[in-house]
Amino acid sequence: MSRRDNHPATLHSVFERTFHEERRALTGWVAGLVALAITMLALYPTIRGNTQFSKLFESYPEAFRSMFGVSDYTSGPGYLRAEVFSLMGPLLLSVFSILWGSDLTAGEEQRRTIDVLMANPVSRHRVVLEKWAAMLVGTAVAAASLWLTLLVGDPLVQLHLGVAALSAAVLASWLVATVFGTIALAVGAATGRRGLARGLGALAAVVAYLLSSLAEVVRWLEPVRPISPWYHALGVDPLGGGFQALHLLVLLAIIIIAAAGAVVAFDRRDLGT
Amino acid sequence: MTFTARARATGLAPELSKAPGFPTIALAGVTKRYRGGVGIEDVTLEVPSGEVFGFLGPNGAGKTTTIRLLLDLIRPDAGRISLFGLDARRDSVAIRRRVGYLPGDLALYERLTARELLTHFSHLRGGPPWASVASLADRFELELDRPIRSLSKGNRQKVGLVQALMGDPELLILDEPTSGLDPLVQQQVHQVIRETASDGRTVFLSSHVLSEVGRIADRVGLIRQGQVMAVKRVDELRGRPVHLVDVRFADDPPSGVLTGVPGVGRVEERGHDVHLELTGSFDPLVHELARHRVADLSIREPDLEELFLSFYEGDDVQA
Repeated sequence: MSRRDNHPATLHSVFERTFHEERRALTGWVAGLVALAITMLALYPTIRGNTQFSKLFESYPEAFRSMFGVSDYTSGPGYLRAEVFSLMGPLLLSVFSILWGSDLTAGEEQRRTIDVLMANPVSRHRVVLEKWAAMLVGTAVAAASLWLTLLVGDPLVQLHLGVAALSAAVLASWLVATVFGTIALAVGAATGRRGLARGLGALAAVVAYLLSSLAEVVRWLEPVRPISPWYHALGVDPLGGGFQALHLLVLLAIIIIAAAGAVVAFDRRDLGT
Repeated sequence: MTFTARARATGLAPELSKAPGFPTIALAGVTKRYRGGVGIEDVTLEVPSGEVFGFLGPNGAGKTTTIRLLLDLIRPDAGRISLFGLDARRDSVAIRRRVGYLPGDLALYERLTARELLTHFSHLRGGPPWASVASLADRFELELDRPIRSLSKGNRQKVGLVQALMGDPELLILDEPTSGLDPLVQQQVHQVIRETASDGRTVFLSSHVLSEVGRIADRVGLIRQGQVMAVKRVDELRGRPVHLVDVRFADDPPSGVLTGVPGVGRVEERGHDVHLELTGSFDPLVHELARHRVADLSIREPDLEELFLSFYEGDDVQA
């Protein structure tokens, strides 16, 4: 402790500095997610119990309803599933995570700060892991802001979600965002190219989403649906079904494999070339 | 964790640095190729402890490649690299604990202030106390609380120097430390290098300006197109009794008149003018000149650049 007091500022580890540099962006994303949640909460009273809406969606084909998650639209959980958790919430978290993950090491290489950083006595795997941890925590903060807003708003507009269901949906959203962010990190760590990392991270997210939602209606896609992380996160309806350990473990496994790949790839490369 | 880091730093360094017989830097047959070009080819080089070594060459010759290999930022295709007798890759973290590095193409965290950056790095280094970092910053008159993105090139370079110097590393690796700096800051940099050397620490310095290297280095290595062409002591370069002689004859001199005179080398004839390089005694040349009508005669000592070239072109080259 005494040695820390010698330093006037508080930036110490790579983790802290990574978090510090991203704090403004994080604030922006938190504000965006809270705004999204508040908007959806504010609109719900006009939809709750509105039979017109029920009839409207009932007239749509079954395939459409399941693809866009609008069955049961006028109930609290059904409404949130359609408006927040089938796409917007996890998508925003994923974009945030991909942007950050792709920048973690590849950004340092492209801005050429990797030279001064790696001149310090820190191992490459420590750098990757600390930066990855910063992204996990940052994305968790963003997800928590969504969770907290919906939790507070629930009784106000009578969504009748329940803490467990809401927590399960937010956890699944955070995990699926982290999957794509970690994939972006791994591509960046393996190539040193931030643009490529962003592109492949985003591609993975889009393909996973399409696979999971199209498989609702395209019968031949159904057997391959389990390869989509999106399916394990949101295709299994955490808002209705709560925590489903097996699916969460699949997501966790993908994240750990991608992170391990990032560590190994970064350790073997020529940096900043 | 901070305490163990410090214990490791202070516990390891004395044992390892006292290990006798190891040059501070040793490259043996090191080759690094890049797609579409040569990095360095079969470089063998040793820098003993306590020396100021100047690594000289034009841009793109392989200086930065060599330096980045030392820091394990890139890995060689062939050859062995060790620092303090430790393997550059396997023991990289232990090596970097004892090295300060200023990159040639310096990039810093633009969003941080100098104070934040230096605090961060001093922590990663396992703890030079802030007071010592602050006194370095004072010396360079660094503005600690402005964001780095608002600093001039010279001030950024100062931040780079302070982070390289903090904690008094045993080896200082400086890639083109003065390029683009105003003369006053250049002076400061040279002063710091001299002080580091007088502490008995080692400095590896790259430059494309020989006069700079000649002023502060003990030895100079010349690298061209990825190959080390020559390594010479600066005092050896200076100590070699070479003079450059320009003669203007009053009449057309017979062709090859001065070629073959003892001590005369590198003769260039242009009309009445003859330029030559004289090694050793003046006597044979003066006797020869006395047989002709000489209109003008000038004798001067070559600068380091010309000296190095005379070694380089005169087959007097050692790798």
